[in-house]
Amino acid sequence: MADVPTLSIMLLGAGQEVGRSCCVLQYRGRTIVCDAGVHPAYSGIASLPFIDELDWSTVDVILITHFHLDHAAALTYITEKTNFRDGKGKVYMTHPTKALHKFMMQDFVRMGSSSTDALFSPMELSMSLASIIPVSAHQVISPCPGVTFTPYHAGHVLGACMFLIDIAGLKILYTGDYSREEDRHLVKAEVPPIRPDVLIVESTFGVQTLEGREEKELRFTNLVHNIIRRGGHVLLPTFALGRAQELLLILDEYWKKHPDLHNVPIYYASSLARKCMAVYQTYIHTMNSNVRSRFAKRDNPFVFKHISNVPHSRGWERKIAEGPPCVVLASPGFMTNGPSRELLELWAPDSRNGVILTGYSIEGTLARDIQTEPDEVQSLKGHMIPRKLSVDEISFGAHVDYSQNSEFIEAVNAQHIVLVHGEQNAMGRLRAAMQDRYKSRDEDVKIHTPRNLEALELTFRGERVAKAIGN
Amino acid sequence: MASSVFYKFKSRKDESRVNFDGTGISVFDLKKEIILANNLGKANDFDLCIYDNSSNEVELKDDSHIIPRSSSVVVKRVFAKPGKGKAAMYIAGSSSAGASGATLEPSKSTAGANGSYSWHRGNMSKRFDGKEDVPTGPKAT
Ligand SMILES: [Zn+2]
Ligand SMILES: [Zn+2]
Repeated sequence: MADVPTLSIMLLGAGQEVGRSCCVLQYRGRTIVCDAGVHPAYSGIASLPFIDELDWSTVDVILITHFHLDHAAALTYITEKTNFRDGKGKVYMTHPTKALHKFMMQDFVRMGSSSTDALFSPMELSMSLASIIPVSAHQVISPCPGVTFTPYHAGHVLGACMFLIDIAGLKILYTGDYSREEDRHLVKAEVPPIRPDVLIVESTFGVQTLEGREEKELRFTNLVHNIIRRGGHVLLPTFALGRAQELLLILDEYWKKHPDLHNVPIYYASSLARKCMAVYQTYIHTMNSNVRSRFAKRDNPFVFKHISNVPHSRGWERKIAEGPPCVVLASPGFMTNGPSRELLELWAPDSRNGVILTGYSIEGTLARDIQTEPDEVQSLKGHMIPRKLSVDEISFGAHVDYSQNSEFIEAVNAQHIVLVHGEQNAMGRLRAAMQDRYKSRDEDVKIHTPRNLEALELTFRGERVAKAIGN
Repeated sequence: MASSVFYKFKSRKDESRVNFDGTGISVFDLKKEIILANNLGKANDFDLCIYDNSSNEVELKDDSHIIPRSSSVVVKRVFAKPGKGKAAMYIAGSSSAGASGATLEPSKSTAGANGSYSWHRGNMSKRFDGKEDVPTGPKAT
């Protein structure tokens, strides 16, 4: 066969699963890695992507789409524990992602250091952070000869972006997590102005349809109000950053309109988030017009009127749990350990209480298991606790649903579509549905759903590859 | 005197070691110690592959194969279909369960003794021969 260059796409994680995103692109001697996350259901080395498959000294570029742990938390391990630094590899993320990634990882390393599973030290974390090159949306960057990339807004969380990557003329769009609905503080994902050859796209919600923002917010605030009325406590397990800020904006506004709630505290149990508020305030200019215009009128939406921080003392969980009705946002979102888990265990036996799951719950975590409303839940100490508190799910996860994803996929109009970041079934259904759409229009579009470590090799004909790689 | 075998995850810069008594350790026991030392037992979606340290890295597939003390090996975590990973099998049996060869010297381990694997309760004394499928491990909650 003649020398037809092949694009190889290999997922070290997030292949037919949600978690530990890590996608390796190899073309014409260049190696680019998109995202380096951990699997939230595991800890330590078991949570890493399958990084033993790659010689990290050959990597030219690592691009991180956003600060969520399932996209970014394996970065320190890769830069400090592998031979990555033996090569010339560079690491990029947007300015807000870098600022928030720092706080997220300081928290991550603190949580990990108490267990035997610590992946790296605080010292290694600072080394890794120092090597990250921050970039802005729409900037065109050339990290090495033959390669350019541009970040586009992805919605989802502050700083999140998609990367449009050009390797020797071949164009690949990697979306990361994205949303197409403008929420209270972020812009929605953009459709890049250039048609890529390959689209690598998340598929978290498969063919599911999510309710619209207004209905969803109404259902959420009604539910919170009902739990308070019945004398219960409301637990909102969320990660300290990201969707928590959106929930706080919703609750703060609702409280303002309902004076009967003014004596009901909303606690935001996160010193991490307190630190990060400054980052949110710094990056107001990257948010949507709603936030920007309020800010211009000296009404900073991130200065909340009805939200209190929890007392800094040890054992605050018990104090709050035994006190009058209240709302608590506590991390982590999956209730695997920490404050959200402790509060859940304290509140589970009382039917007046309620937990509302507001994000996508990853398989293998308590947040997922409790959705089946089991009669008992196992405490971290190992004994069984009766579960009488109500369990509801209202997703503010800021991922696209089926109609938004299919519309975006069609607008991008790539010849090859690679689905990632979805559970096997959800992904399979999305693929079948998209295939039907293309078939009915007689369009030749290939949809791939590779498993982890199952290398996908694509070749492209003709003019695409004419531009030679410089050196 | 304690003996050691050195192992290095393929992607990692530095080496770690497993300590034991005797002149060698079986591949089975080495995998078990690595799984315990790195607290990998909870995950059921990977397999551990061990390669000799030669330039062409031959996989040591036979669990009863004895690795002489003071050798170095390379370890890879490779993906297995969720539920099909064999980690639980290695930490479930007693140390001699996997070594079909009777020549194995008892190798008492010192590594990974403090690994937290309290989740596996119940039927864990079952013998595995290294070939059968392992039932899906209990879900972590
Ligand atoms: Zn995300
Ligand atoms: Zn994600």
